Amino acid sequence: MRRAIRTLVWALYLAFFLSACATTTKLDQTMPPGAVESLVAPHRTKATQLEAQGDLRLALNEWKIALTIDPKDSVSAQGKERVEKNINQAVTDAMSRGREALKRGVQSEARRYFLRALALDPANKAAFDALQDDIKEIRVLNHTVRKGETLASIAELYYRDRSRLEVIWETNQLPPNPKLEPGTVLKIPEIPGVPFSGPAAPPPPRPKTESPTSPAKTEPPEEVELETNPMLSEAREALERKEFTVALAGVDRYLVQNPRSAEGVELKRTVLYQQGKTALDQKKYAESYAALNQLAKLSPNYQDSSSLLGRARNFLVQDHYSQGIRLYREEKLDGAIAEWRIVLQYDPNHAAAKKNIEQAERLLQGLQERQQKK
Amino acid sequence: MRNLSVPLILAGWASLLLHGCASVQPPSSMEQEKAAVAAQRQETFESEDFIVAIAKAGDTTQSLAAKFLGDADKSWMIEEYNEVSALSPGQQVIIPKRFWNLSGVDPSGYQLVPILCYHNLAPQSKGRLVLGVKSFEEQMHYLKSQGYRVVSLKEFLEFTSLKKQLPRKSLVLTFDDGYRAFIQYAYPILKELGFTATLFVYTDYIGAGVTALSWADLKKLAAEGFDIEAHSKSHGNMRRAATESADEYAKRLAAELNVPKDLFSKNLGYLPQSLAYPYGSQDDVVVQRTKERGYAAAFTVRRQGNPSFVEPLRIHRSQIYSEMSLDDFIKNLNFYNMESLK
Repeated sequence: MRRAIRTLVWALYLAFFLSACATTTKLDQTMPPGAVESLVAPHRTKATQLEAQGDLRLALNEWKIALTIDPKDSVSAQGKERVEKNINQAVTDAMSRGREALKRGVQSEARRYFLRALALDPANKAAFDALQDDIKEIRVLNHTVRKGETLASIAELYYRDRSRLEVIWETNQLPPNPKLEPGTVLKIPEIPGVPFSGPAAPPPPRPKTESPTSPAKTEPPEEVELETNPMLSEAREALERKEFTVALAGVDRYLVQNPRSAEGVELKRTVLYQQGKTALDQKKYAESYAALNQLAKLSPNYQDSSSLLGRARNFLVQDHYSQGIRLYREEKLDGAIAEWRIVLQYDPNHAAAKKNIEQAERLLQGLQERQQKK
Repeated sequence: MRNLSVPLILAGWASLLLHGCASVQPPSSMEQEKAAVAAQRQETFESEDFIVAIAKAGDTTQSLAAKFLGDADKSWMIEEYNEVSALSPGQQVIIPKRFWNLSGVDPSGYQLVPILCYHNLAPQSKGRLVLGVKSFEEQMHYLKSQGYRVVSLKEFLEFTSLKKQLPRKSLVLTFDDGYRAFIQYAYPILKELGFTATLFVYTDYIGAGVTALSWADLKKLAAEGFDIEAHSKSHGNMRRAATESADEYAKRLAAELNVPKDLFSKNLGYLPQSLAYPYGSQDDVVVQRTKERGYAAAFTVRRQGNPSFVEPLRIHRSQIYSEMSLDDFIKNLNFYNMESLK
């Protein structure tokens, strides 16, 4: 009996002590559990959302922030562990696909996988080294010089910026003040951060004097935080008038200053999509392709843009292929080859175009040899 | 029997008590408010990667950076992580303790750092490469007013070796050849705005007449934090000329790369780490020799911005010409490549 009483006293003492420890210290020395919870909850919600969207890196950071506030939060601890595992898995996967693409010699594909690995894990040394050491150019198109073209006009065509002619000059290791012969094939590389219009962009907008964004009023862009940015509203108005080139120039100018502006990016998508779709309806396939191709870089799955892009590409391939045939029949072999080369830009695996080019080149060589003998 | 059952019952009682204590009733809204007030009083939470703080009246990103990161200049880390430029009292602030994006790559694209390349300056512009002071001043004030951050070449090279994250709108200023006009015209403007710069000088020119900087000038500039680096010996094109024998070329190239090293070491007390190719002209041979001679980085004049993973011996720079309008100038400030990487 005495022993039982002693045990009872001890148990009571223990219970009191433990309960005190679980409540009072928390309330008095740190903060009420409700307060911690109210601070953690938004980060948990955000982390869950980001994870669902596939933004694993940001999700991981949110889980870590939740755990900074409450290190004992088991949901966040599990979330962190789960996302870390998924990131590791995705990085490993991207790296092996990238290396595999590199082995096949497809640099553009390898580049995308290595970049994807870095987007998931921005300090990943292996992905960084692979990009730094193994990847040379982003994407290079061939341009066949036409009569009257200059480096500046070609730069305007592809980059909408004449001063980028230096990039074409350097890439092709041209002599100072080069003379461009029609038929010369130039490499045109994509320049990071500069909108790339693709192989057959619409002619540059010449009537600068009539354009509403004429250089006469070149004020520095307005403050970043303004809700209704005047530069964007100009672009919107141009979009309504279906002046896509003007609209795009306006959005791009804005985006140079605010590349992460969701509003700006969304407007750019809309403009490119509208331009691609309208041009396709009007049978302006080159313009349509150029616009949709730019859109694909921003968001590959924007509405039905990828199927529209495929249609524009098919029309272009057909067009240039049959142009080539027509020129070939007219015995204009150089012109025919140039057309089929364009076909290969759109569809590098176009077997008939490849075969025709080889045949035309053989014929051309034979002709030249005969001429030399004469 | 009785002796055993009593402790059992007691243990059950104790566990009940403890349990009750762990699942405290959800607080009413009044209590929640009190909790929020307490949370504000409660200063910070800290883990390995982050500090979570509540901004108080008078707190700025600079003051929080000074307090928690030990350096007010790291305010950009707080601003960029929280996507804010200013703080309001009661606002929760996430302070990243470490760089969270070393390579500047994220799911919607990647960071670019433009490097601007200037040559000579004069009160009035002359030809393409002598820029009028007014234009230069306008360009520098534009950078300041738009929140661009001029970083040093050293910081940029840490970015390209995955050691340092740079603010989103970072760029580097460089001046080629070694004109005295740098001190006369560029220096006061840079000082006023707190911008640093790198001078790429070719050593034959240094001390050669009134238009050139002297070694003493360069030493003073270096002491003030300007970075002086190499631009060859003679400013000759470093690619092999058609008329040159292999032997002649090897000798010439060695001199272009080595003489600056000797003269820097003698006059400035350090070896140049970077080289700007004269005319930006290079090929695989030039790049290989430059690397072998101990240069860690080298610069072209290809007009584009640089990602962190740029090839270190072919870093791009954008030349600023005197005929450029402010709009043309702005076209060179590409600091992000949008590209879906999900």
